[in-house]
Amino acid sequence: MADKTELAIELKNISKSFGSVKANKNINLTLRKGEILALLGENGSGKTTLMNMLSGIYTPDSGSVFIDGQQVTISSPEDSVRLGIGMVHQHFKLVERFSAADNILIGAKNKGHFLLGKNRYKEIEDIADRFGFKIDAAKIVANMAVSEKQTLEILKVLYYGAKVIILDEPTAVLTVQEIKKLFDVLRKMKEEGHSIIIITHKLNEVMEISDRVAVLRKGEYIDTVETAKTNEKQLTELMVGRKIDLNIDHPRIEKTKPLLEIRNLSVNGDEGNLAVDKLSFYIRGGEVLGVAGIAGSGQKELCEAIAGLRKIKDGMIIHGGVNIAGLPPQKITEHGIAMSFIPEDRLGMGLAPSLSITDNVILKKYRKGKGPLVDRKTGRAEAQAIIKELDIVTPSTEIAVRKLSGGNVQKVLLGREIQSAPNVLITAYPVRGLDINSSYAIYDIINQQKLKGVGVMFVGEDLDVMMALCDKIMVICHGRLMGVVGTDKITKEEIGLMMTGVLNTVNAKEGKTAGIARDSALTAEEWEEGLEYAAERAYAEEDDASGERGRKAMTVARGRSTGSKRKEGADS
Amino acid sequence: MKGFHLVRRTNVKLWQRILFYVIGILVSLVIGAILLSTLDIDPIKYYRQMMTIGLIENKYPEKAIEGLLKIFVPLLIVSLALSLSYRMKFWNVGGEGEFIVGAIIAAVIAFKCSSLPGPLVILLMSLAAFIASGLIGLAVAFLKVKFNTNETLVTLMINYIALYVITYIADTKKSWNFFLDKESARPKFAKFPDPAKMPGIKIGNVNLLYSVIIALALGVIIYFYLKSTKQGYEISVVGDSTDTARYAGMNVGRIVMRTVFLSAALVGMAGAFSASTAATISTSITNNVGWTGVIVAWLSKLSTPGIAVVSLLISVLQYGCQAASVSYGSVDHNFADLLQGVILFSVLVADFALNFRIVRRKEADNV
Repeated sequence: MADKTELAIELKNISKSFGSVKANKNINLTLRKGEILALLGENGSGKTTLMNMLSGIYTPDSGSVFIDGQQVTISSPEDSVRLGIGMVHQHFKLVERFSAADNILIGAKNKGHFLLGKNRYKEIEDIADRFGFKIDAAKIVANMAVSEKQTLEILKVLYYGAKVIILDEPTAVLTVQEIKKLFDVLRKMKEEGHSIIIITHKLNEVMEISDRVAVLRKGEYIDTVETAKTNEKQLTELMVGRKIDLNIDHPRIEKTKPLLEIRNLSVNGDEGNLAVDKLSFYIRGGEVLGVAGIAGSGQKELCEAIAGLRKIKDGMIIHGGVNIAGLPPQKITEHGIAMSFIPEDRLGMGLAPSLSITDNVILKKYRKGKGPLVDRKTGRAEAQAIIKELDIVTPSTEIAVRKLSGGNVQKVLLGREIQSAPNVLITAYPVRGLDINSSYAIYDIINQQKLKGVGVMFVGEDLDVMMALCDKIMVICHGRLMGVVGTDKITKEEIGLMMTGVLNTVNAKEGKTAGIARDSALTAEEWEEGLEYAAERAYAEEDDASGERGRKAMTVARGRSTGSKRKEGADS
Repeated sequence: MKGFHLVRRTNVKLWQRILFYVIGILVSLVIGAILLSTLDIDPIKYYRQMMTIGLIENKYPEKAIEGLLKIFVPLLIVSLALSLSYRMKFWNVGGEGEFIVGAIIAAVIAFKCSSLPGPLVILLMSLAAFIASGLIGLAVAFLKVKFNTNETLVTLMINYIALYVITYIADTKKSWNFFLDKESARPKFAKFPDPAKMPGIKIGNVNLLYSVIIALALGVIIYFYLKSTKQGYEISVVGDSTDTARYAGMNVGRIVMRTVFLSAALVGMAGAFSASTAATISTSITNNVGWTGVIVAWLSKLSTPGIAVVSLLISVLQYGCQAASVSYGSVDHNFADLLQGVILFSVLVADFALNFRIVRRKEADNV
């Protein structure tokens, strides 16, 4: 063990519980001066809880904290700042309507700023320069890109004189190129004598940036190892507690004709901005199409539009030869399209957290059956089947979904969607917040669906996973298509460039436009005519708020498709 | 408070919950007892008389039961009705106003259609009140769904509008005002004609009004409505997460409007029952039931059986205070309101104590 004076932070026997859940159990951790320590662990292993105790958001139930060898009590964020600890949270804590400079000065109570002078921008930019950052101090946060916001957060902690900087999953929202930049910044700060703790669960990043790695598992401290003396396999074993195969299965089967074809789709976001911009793509049966993009590039709006939850501005969604754009959600479900969207808070959409598993299983078909009563008997049997099939851990079918663990919650959601025997499965962030085992269980479920001939759209966050699991990846940037590429023909870096909009491969191949199937269900003329109707409809709706005319135009566009095509779609 | 902090409890057992609530109620009774002692009243004697609602040593005990039921029926219906709105997180605090509107409309029917046979008049009164109040609820829900107005403010204002309408009717001695007694020189509400009076069945000496039977049946119906019907299922999904409801293809706006209509309509019907039972209306016809109903709905955590139990307890409290005030002139029915408030606070404290523990922080040994 190193000499005490070399330690920036030492944690001894720290414990913290929330109710009966022990988030941290007797954790010991040391941070040397001028090192980058990676804090590694699966979701729910207590990394963020531990760091929140250093930043004063939680107080430990027991244990002691030493900073520079002195025992301290951190009972509020102010204490933490005073002791020179700064934390960059995973979800940025910035005031969107303020400028960069004001976001920094907002907490500078003791620095004698009563009035905000014009010179404050210069002042902040000078400080930024000194640390080697380039920022526009007058820029409003709302207009900033994610990486700019992160830089601002880091600058904010430095401005308050932090010697120890904690970064909570800083790379989750960044592209490959931005991650490189961030790591350069971290290395520079390290040279200047700062100590850094970086929370992550991405092993390749750990190997690249850290000096040492501390591993937590289920709230317990496992070990700290020198990065140079370890490898990804050993780290995984420490993290999971046993040997694990890191390969994701990638079965291949004969692909069918396109099941779902989307052409020229435009959808508005919540603020009336254009979230999906003239997007064209298709999904075949028996393939997994990955959707990659920086967070907030229109993924949510796209999913909602396909599922019928969001108004479509323009364009067509052809399923089984029929335009389903603008149909109500239950009609789309009847068509055989199932969507499971895991939002950031996990429970927000698709599940009613306080209701039982049974009640959640019947959510989409409670209307079925005659009479005014809900058929819970069938629902319970189906819930039992899902529990059995997907190994969901629960005492009964009548327990509130809220009380299940994250992995089981996601299994309930995915299980219900699969149960409706869809031919197109849309799944967004299905492994969000899951540990490795549960994630692999979900990948298996997706692969099984693919082998059944289902067309799967997988909206994901982790490029490594998507490269392994998907057959093709569609990259979107600001709602616009940047290209659809086979995962065996592309590198992560190229996808990163496409995500930021630098690289566009839509027309890279001669004679073929990405996102448009050669063996489409409709002929070129039919597409043209249909899209014209759709555009007319969009125009009519802008013109006439009642939308009556628009609805008529839509019916016409939908009615044109023939019955035989519908059959073809259903068979595949 | 350094070294102490709150920790959330999980897995609270039912018996613990009941124990904490009972302790909470006992504490409030002790507080009431202290207040009573300062007035030189023996709290034990007083409480005994209150709890037995004057049944003992009473020449006409059946009157006590009838009086209790007159408080219980409107409170039960209003609490049940409000709980429907609250289950969807629609904060309808317009119980008072909806109740008054129901009573006024019932009175209109009572005075204008008295030539019809008895049961039909009562039925018409209830139905008209049901629809009139329901439409008010529907309007508020519509505003909320369409323009996202704050339903708490809107329903609150409706209370005052309704109150001033009935006050205006009560104070205006004009020829058009058929609500008032023609004989009386001063403005005074007239008695309803006989067909408009709530009938009942004689059980022993007690005249059990049909409104009591309907109220109890309503409790059972609402319990099954929420538990087993598709509409009830929709209410629980919308109440839990509107995003999820939308995702399941539910028309959230329509469900909210339908449920709030039902909620307000039932309050209006309770108003009609009260008017018909009293055979007249008055500016104080609500007896604050619109507010007490809110308390009952929350004390019982929106559970239907809970509402039945709590509204009976609150009715005993209120009527018991009235009964006891016969022997204790210095304590009037306001003591019931006071005790009700203290009980609400104690139960909230009990709730907090159920959900959190205060823990002292332990320092690790310095090595």
